Amino acid sequence: MKLRTALTSVGVMIGTAAIVAMISLSLGLKENAVKSLENWGSLTEMEVAPSYMMPDQKTMRPPDQIKKLNSTAVQELKQVPGVSAVMPTKQLYTDVTLKLGRREANLQLVGVDVQESKNYKKEEVEKGTYLEGPKNEIVVTYEVPRQMRDVEKERREARKRGANNESSGGRGFFPGPGGGEGEGQTVVDMVGKSATLVLTREYYIDNEPKFERKEVRVRVVGQLKKEDRGRWWGGNTAYVPMSLINELNEWVNQDGGRGSWGMYGDDEGTTRIKDRNQKKEIEYDTITVKVASREQVEDTVKRIQNIGYEIYSPAGALEQINQFFFVVQMILGGIAAISLLVASIGIVNTMIMSILERTKEIGIMKVIGASVYNIRWLFLMESGFIGLFGGFAGLGIAFGAVELLNYLGQNSDFLNQFGGGGPMPDSGPTKLAIIPLWLSGFAIGFSFLIGLMAGIFPAFRASRLSPMQAIRSE
Amino acid sequence: MANGVGELVVKGVNHSYGAGKLRVPILYDIHLHIKNGEFVALCGTSGSGKSTLLSLLAGLMKPEDGQIFVNGEEISRYSENQLCQFRRRSMGFVFQSFNLLPNLTALENVELPLIFAGESIRSRRKRAKEMLELVGLGERITHKPNELSGGQQQRVSIARALVNAPGIVLADEPTGNLDSATEKEILQLMRQMNRERGTTYVIVTHDQEVAQQSDRVIYMQDGRIVEKAEKPA
Repeated sequence: MKLRTALTSVGVMIGTAAIVAMISLSLGLKENAVKSLENWGSLTEMEVAPSYMMPDQKTMRPPDQIKKLNSTAVQELKQVPGVSAVMPTKQLYTDVTLKLGRREANLQLVGVDVQESKNYKKEEVEKGTYLEGPKNEIVVTYEVPRQMRDVEKERREARKRGANNESSGGRGFFPGPGGGEGEGQTVVDMVGKSATLVLTREYYIDNEPKFERKEVRVRVVGQLKKEDRGRWWGGNTAYVPMSLINELNEWVNQDGGRGSWGMYGDDEGTTRIKDRNQKKEIEYDTITVKVASREQVEDTVKRIQNIGYEIYSPAGALEQINQFFFVVQMILGGIAAISLLVASIGIVNTMIMSILERTKEIGIMKVIGASVYNIRWLFLMESGFIGLFGGFAGLGIAFGAVELLNYLGQNSDFLNQFGGGGPMPDSGPTKLAIIPLWLSGFAIGFSFLIGLMAGIFPAFRASRLSPMQAIRSE
Repeated sequence: MANGVGELVVKGVNHSYGAGKLRVPILYDIHLHIKNGEFVALCGTSGSGKSTLLSLLAGLMKPEDGQIFVNGEEISRYSENQLCQFRRRSMGFVFQSFNLLPNLTALENVELPLIFAGESIRSRRKRAKEMLELVGLGERITHKPNELSGGQQQRVSIARALVNAPGIVLADEPTGNLDSATEKEILQLMRQMNRERGTTYVIVTHDQEVAQQSDRVIYMQDGRIVEKAEKPA
């Protein structure tokens, strides 16, 4: 290959490398942004709230048209195409301690509709079963068995340590071994065992605060898998049937003291509460919907909004990210495309030079029978291959550049943060730039096309040479 | 391999270069009939118009006036594309300066007309090789033109002219750049090809040797055919 041709290819190479590197960088940044979004919350699980605005987002909804998060809403949401599961929840408005033997842990109690949530949570069960229906069953999250602490023992040990190290006072406040979050974590096997929920409520009689304790015996039937994404209530959570939550909330919110409460199985108490529950409809705190696939999220969200709910979806942000990065890609790609345009002018120049140089050859070929199309084809292919060659070389350079960038990205905190979110424990090393297969294909095809287009004018010029004159030129 | 027929008829051709006041007439009222299989020498001083006549016969230019028939077809009315096909099918060319493509080997140079004719690679390789053997260059098919002597280059160019099995070969001073020994060889080769294959030859030449070897010599002077001398055998 002639030096001139090789240099022209280098022009295409630089252009292609620039385009591929720019686009791969913006693709990588986008991927990182999506990843950190997913880290924040599952993209297919969203919470639904009643909307106070009409679908046009301008007029207020009349109060009687504001949706309630009740069983009607659950049914309505289930009908929305794209929704694969609906899970209503209700929380207990007070802290609860779960005691099992000598160990205990504070947790958040969430009431779920056993039937509705079964489809939803079934696959997340790691040990035991999911809630089957009886009121005193509970399912704990992955964290709970790891947070159960022997409070008595810790207190004893803390006292002991405090006595031993009186000079370095204050150390005694720190929890002992087994109590810390990281060190010496013991996992308590809870599934299938009976436990006790301890609730405390505060109420006032003549502005005097009073406290009342209540103990409920429950059976731990299952434990969930580690949640891949931390949800806002994640951590120490136990799921119980909705009916239990309703009863406990009744107890928490009642006025005045009622004396001591019996355990469950106290027939009289249970009946009394049931009667009350039948009077008013249950309203949930939250309704969470699960969409069948990530692709359907946006459409499903729109449908849910149209029937009168607020729904926040990370997918909305995803759409914005997509739009933003599309613009970024266009700008970066456009800048790089300018260098390819310059390169294509270089190809035109080289081809015209080459035709001037080979005028005689063109003449000979015409005399011995080359048609106009033969000559055009010859020169188009030549310029196309200048482009193609540059394209391959440029792609190679782009791959090298991306490797380097990713290597730097893994070894630099600054670049990591720039990439967004930092590396996830389970998502492998952060990649700043990625070259998907389509981008490689596009780069090769595009550089070949650039070469072809740059060759059109010279090829026509060559094919129009008069054989008589061409053959006489020296 | 059977070659095409090659009968040339020129009727009342006038031609000139330039336009307006700068117009220089080259050919005046040329009438000519060359029979199939003839070996004709076209002689004349420089500027007599013999090269122009050859270009007209080759279809490289169109005559201003008059008609040229090849095998009964009027090529002077052909379009550029038709001329191109016609040259590919019915004409072979041999040049004074050989005009081989310097970057191609002897074999590739001979293959070239077959490539333009769209022949498959296997068949054109075979035909080109056979042709080079026929002109006595079977041993040197992978050599580039600059690795060949003048005579050898001219042999390659004759092979190239003949590979399409044309009816007519037009040669412009084919021996002009060769020493006299080589000239004889080349001339002999062309005569042999003319006899064996029945191809018509029209050779523009200054050379008395070439004229001597021809069936017929056509003399040109100042754009006119001055004398048609049947050369005695």
